[in-house]
Amino acid sequence: MLSASKGRNRSTSRRGAEAENSRESKSQQSPGITHPHLLKVPGVFVLALFLLSFTSRVQGNPILLYSFWGACLFLAGWQLLVLHKYSAQPLSKSFVISLRPQHYIQTMVHLSVYFYWGMNWQPVQAHAILLIAQVLFAYAFDIMLSWSRRDSYQFGFGPIPIIFSTNLFLWFHDDWFYLQFLMVGIGFLGKEFVRWNRDGRLVHIFNPSAFTLGLFSLVLIATNTTDLTWGPQIASTLSLAPGIYTYLFLGGLVVMYFFAITLVSASSAMVLFGLSALYFSITGVPYFLDSEIPTAVFLGLHLLVTDPSTSPRTPTGRLVFGILYGLGVFVLYTLLSMIGAPTFYDKLLCVPLLNLSVQWIDRLVAPLRNHPLLERWGLGVTLNRKANLVHMGIWILFFAWMSALGKTDTRHLGDSLPFWEEACEQGKPNACNRLLLLESTYCNDNSGWACNAIGAEYYFGEHTERDVDRALGFFARSCELRFQAGCLNYLDSTGIRLADPRPFDLRLLLREGGQNLLDMPEPELYQRACEHGWAFACSDTGSR
Amino acid sequence: MTGNRRYRHQPHFCILLLGCLLAAIPGAGLIAQPEGTGVQFSEANLSLPADESLGFVSIPAGQFPMGSNPLIDPMAFENERWSASQRQGRVDMPQYYIARYETTVAQFRAFVEATGYPVDPQALTQPDNYPVSFVSWTDALAYARWLDGALRTIPQLPVELKKFLDDGARVTLPNEAEWEKAAKGEQSRIYPWGNQFVSGKANVNSSTPQAVGSVQCSDCVYGLSDMSGNVWEWTRSPYREYPFDTDLTGVDLADDALWIMRGGSFSDENNNARTAVRGAADPGARRAFIGFRVVLSKD
Repeated sequence: MLSASKGRNRSTSRRGAEAENSRESKSQQSPGITHPHLLKVPGVFVLALFLLSFTSRVQGNPILLYSFWGACLFLAGWQLLVLHKYSAQPLSKSFVISLRPQHYIQTMVHLSVYFYWGMNWQPVQAHAILLIAQVLFAYAFDIMLSWSRRDSYQFGFGPIPIIFSTNLFLWFHDDWFYLQFLMVGIGFLGKEFVRWNRDGRLVHIFNPSAFTLGLFSLVLIATNTTDLTWGPQIASTLSLAPGIYTYLFLGGLVVMYFFAITLVSASSAMVLFGLSALYFSITGVPYFLDSEIPTAVFLGLHLLVTDPSTSPRTPTGRLVFGILYGLGVFVLYTLLSMIGAPTFYDKLLCVPLLNLSVQWIDRLVAPLRNHPLLERWGLGVTLNRKANLVHMGIWILFFAWMSALGKTDTRHLGDSLPFWEEACEQGKPNACNRLLLLESTYCNDNSGWACNAIGAEYYFGEHTERDVDRALGFFARSCELRFQAGCLNYLDSTGIRLADPRPFDLRLLLREGGQNLLDMPEPELYQRACEHGWAFACSDTGSR
Repeated sequence: MTGNRRYRHQPHFCILLLGCLLAAIPGAGLIAQPEGTGVQFSEANLSLPADESLGFVSIPAGQFPMGSNPLIDPMAFENERWSASQRQGRVDMPQYYIARYETTVAQFRAFVEATGYPVDPQALTQPDNYPVSFVSWTDALAYARWLDGALRTIPQLPVELKKFLDDGARVTLPNEAEWEKAAKGEQSRIYPWGNQFVSGKANVNSSTPQAVGSVQCSDCVYGLSDMSGNVWEWTRSPYREYPFDTDLTGVDLADDALWIMRGGSFSDENNNARTAVRGAADPGARRAFIGFRVVLSKD
């Protein structure tokens, strides 16, 4: 049964929200669909979520299972309330089919990232079923939330990019997965309730995924509970996929072409490239550990900060928005380091702040609206396709230039441990901290050499606070990884022994953010070690 | 058969009863052992044996023949040979103390409870008086390091042990020479009790370990238990070719680590339970058949 849903909206806010939706893009909208059984549709999603709980992936962990059942119970209860409340007038609620390009194109780009990343990092594959579960949860939640507030629900792909972009940056371990459902729910609540009047329309302030990611990031930092999540691993494993910068760049071009967000992405990327280069020229060490822009930040500036409805309206405003995002990430990286928090939150925390500042940015750039020079550069009052193509062209040239300079997918100076050792010895800023961080990372990756090296750092206490117990712990781990010097240091730490990395260690230490080099022939391995600055490997190269 | 089994269990029951009575006396602090091996342990003293030397046996200073002589021991392995020109070496040892029994589950649990040391859960699943197993070389050394500190604080520490510790000794794992001398004495015995294998003197060719002290060895030079079989025992010697050297500066750091373990285990054949056998394992290996005992050594 079809009927027009128009005219059923009962408040200004509802009219505002729908006006915004209709303005944002040219979408395929059908008249509202009503049916006596339409109220039961959310139940279909709940049922599907419940059925998903019987898969081996979910059954394998009791807490995950109860998280699913808890989510189902909550949604089922809400569904019953909706049914009870509107059973007398079932035709009062409707679906408006709304297939918006920004939803389905973003979905496809997200999927392509998951696909490529998942090919190179197995946990993504294991997470797929949980991703589907969140989508089901999100649809049921969003429908019932909409019907609780208004009569029609814009049925399309909308919830999918919200779920996908949230999970590209943060998801909880199985034992805490109920928090993932909570995070999704809060994202939709934020979209529905945290609104403001912008250009005469009541619209949501925050990018829904960025809002909930920002909120949860703050809580996780404040409670020091990042280890409940996969956040650090997510941020560091994108680079396991070969050529990930180029891959994200190409995916980003699709989004730029369709949604004219080139100015946001490109300006933030250019700012970050520029600031990284400036920092290096001043200090002699890279700003970010092993890249000019961390891969997860590069992903974020293409797929997280680029929601058109929570960005400035004008091209100049978007340019400023992108520049501020680049600056925000750059500053937050240091601030988070200073307070000892994980630095991967840098790209998440500044998006809600920027969303809050869009009206201010629009006002700030308003006087520049009619500037002829800006008009000529496509930075005038309105966005136009031709200007966007020009901006894309500049971005393509810039990215190609950065790639040619080795600033994207090729080896980075920060990948080299000998570089950091030397920089630390020379007292360059942050170099010793970076060295410790790298050694700790490789120790966690099961390099006995790295565990012994960091143990020695804690034993001597030259570059960090002396901690003999901690040193012994690292020596023990090194020893269990069969690094003989670690065993001898654990047995008798009166004379600390250091030794060159073994071939197995080199397969981890030289991976340059990618996969471990388990199959690389030894001569090639030593050649690469020599290129990284390991002097012993240069002398060994000829003999192997 | 039935009569024999009943007869065998009667003393066990008596010992168990006696143990329960002692444990019930306030302050006695003695642990009754479920299998009634006759060995009693003192919970108050870190679950060490409840004898006057806390289970430590003095090994006097002096030389002993290290390695195997294939003319006497046809089962000798190549790695037991001292050098290209010499079958056995003579090693001069200072005095030291060695534990009469392998370190037990209760003793290791005391360490874990006192320190919160992370441990393989399987290490603590056997009865209290069984040898602790599923411990790596680093776990064993961590225990020894803790015991070194804990032992010095207990009021009941025998005077001779206190003096030995005060004179510069430490609790640690035995090195190969310390272990081998403690097993064979100053003569070249193939097994701790003599040159012939005697069934029932060692827990070998079986499927499980047994409580420490289940096999008393009055024929053994120093009266130590389970120097043959039960569980392999970690040492503080890295695996390398003989001749034995206490100096570790020559250890090749490029090689993957392997550390010596001695004595064979319940799952081994007789030939691996000889005093000169040199086993080796990854220092991170945690297995049902690997445990350890400790020494007080000045070396």
